[in-house]
Amino acid sequence: MQEKIQKIPLYIRQARRKQSLTTILTAFFIVVQIIWVGLPIFMAVLWSLVDPDHPWSFPSILPEKLSLAQWVYVFKYTNIVRALKTSYMLAPCAVALSFLLGLPTAYVLGRKQIRGKKFFETIVLLPMIMPGMVVALFLSRVFTAFGLAQNFFGLVLAHTLMALPYMIRLLATSFEAIPQDIIDAAENLGANTFVKIKDIFLPMIRPGLLAGIIFAFTTSIEEFNLTFVIGTPTFETIPTILYSFLGYNFIRTNASVVALIMMIPNIILLFIVEDLLKFDYLSASLGKL
Amino acid sequence: MKEKNYSPIDYVLLIPGIGFIVVFIASSIIITITQSFGLLSVTGKSQFTIENWKAIFHDKESLDSVLFSLKMGVLSSLGTLIFAFPLALFLRKSGPGKRFLGSLIKIPQFIPALVAAFLIINLISYHGIINEALLALGIIKEPLRMLNDKFGWGVVVIQIWKNTPFVLLILSGSLASIHDDIIDAARNLGAGSFSVLFRIFIPLSMPGILISMILMFIKAFGDFAITSVAGPIYPPSIALRMRNTATLFQEWDKAAVLGVIIILTTLLITWLYSRLAEFVVGEK
Repeated sequence: MQEKIQKIPLYIRQARRKQSLTTILTAFFIVVQIIWVGLPIFMAVLWSLVDPDHPWSFPSILPEKLSLAQWVYVFKYTNIVRALKTSYMLAPCAVALSFLLGLPTAYVLGRKQIRGKKFFETIVLLPMIMPGMVVALFLSRVFTAFGLAQNFFGLVLAHTLMALPYMIRLLATSFEAIPQDIIDAAENLGANTFVKIKDIFLPMIRPGLLAGIIFAFTTSIEEFNLTFVIGTPTFETIPTILYSFLGYNFIRTNASVVALIMMIPNIILLFIVEDLLKFDYLSASLGKL
Repeated sequence: MKEKNYSPIDYVLLIPGIGFIVVFIASSIIITITQSFGLLSVTGKSQFTIENWKAIFHDKESLDSVLFSLKMGVLSSLGTLIFAFPLALFLRKSGPGKRFLGSLIKIPQFIPALVAAFLIINLISYHGIINEALLALGIIKEPLRMLNDKFGWGVVVIQIWKNTPFVLLILSGSLASIHDDIIDAARNLGAGSFSVLFRIFIPLSMPGILISMILMFIKAFGDFAITSVAGPIYPPSIALRMRNTATLFQEWDKAAVLGVIIILTTLLITWLYSRLAEFVVGEK
């Protein structure tokens, strides 16, 4: 037995030891992450299921009785349904508009060596870099002057502004990734502009477009500053409703329900698109100023 | 070098996207600046004055807010880096279970900031699960005040929880661009894990480290929502003070001064970043 082990060369033993260490570390990190991410979500689920007649308070570790009463209450007596409608109507509009506005810009930034390219790339990131509340507060003056405050179209414009950096940067990266050879070859074989768009550009920018849509969508769903200043009280979105539950009158159980309503679609989206979504795209497109 | 492959039409194509952003961002910046000098005023008459600037600079409460926000910016960016860098390093090489780990880590990226704030509030509140657990284990006698604490640790924890995936994403990108050859070469020449970390991984991923820290700093420095639900009662963050000055006290001109201070700090930090990046990478 002893001899057998010694016959295995040293470097293989070292490699094996390293591999098992990696496996142990992976398992360790997974456990830590499950607690780090899972526990807060689990607590919110518990809070949202507390029965109003059997309050969950100090000494008891778990709620005495679970019920859906809080969910019913939130849907019946708060503005949540209207806020959901507003949020999920705003997001597709903002995604569509940011796509239409961003596509030509992304094409040029991705494919052309124009002068001042770096400058324009930085400009694109401005809505992400500029402090949200400053932009919101003083842009609201402009919006008020043009009658766009407390107005659905104004909110669409505001959300488009916040979604554009993701849309343009991600589309530009995927335009950039198309090898010029393919386009040249297609041209040699007599492809016209329409064929080039249909058979080269569209299929090849699809991963970037998908990532752009997802990021623009989630940005719009969670946008708070601009909506809060420009939209409330006429328009409430899910974030502004959550803020009202957290701020003036802190109602933990109601807030739990709203938090879960806001969070669950996003997490499902993440797992659905995980395979389709190339995260390399994100670091490539956002990892530079 | 690629030859010139563009025409004036390409600049026209930039207009829909770039123009949209410039119109909105520029108009908000211009209004902030002019209003801080008393021009384009909503309340009262419009005339040039530096009184608002004087008033803010002599106001100790405003100074407290600026310092508090600076502190939050620095601690949040350092904190996320400390959490994200080891994970990014560990995930650089694929292995069994690492894909799953990767998706677990990404979850907070898709949780809106306010929801993240609420989730963590539940844990760290006075009778939250962490205090209860520590009490039950006999480690502490009185529950700790971690939420709305004077220092602002609650805010820092929320920022770290929410933004670690974002920073990890950027760091993974720069770590992935380091070739294995360099590491193998260093190891062959006798470099230990420490030298590889400090002389290869950290310097070569420095652009990613810097930009993620900048973006984190800006986010935490200009934060409104998280600080207003989890931050200390005094001082408010500078964005919170600005908003209250404008909408509660209707002193838009003074709010504009605070706005300019936020913008200037952001620009200054971004400029410092680009200088640092030039210095580290050696590129112009």
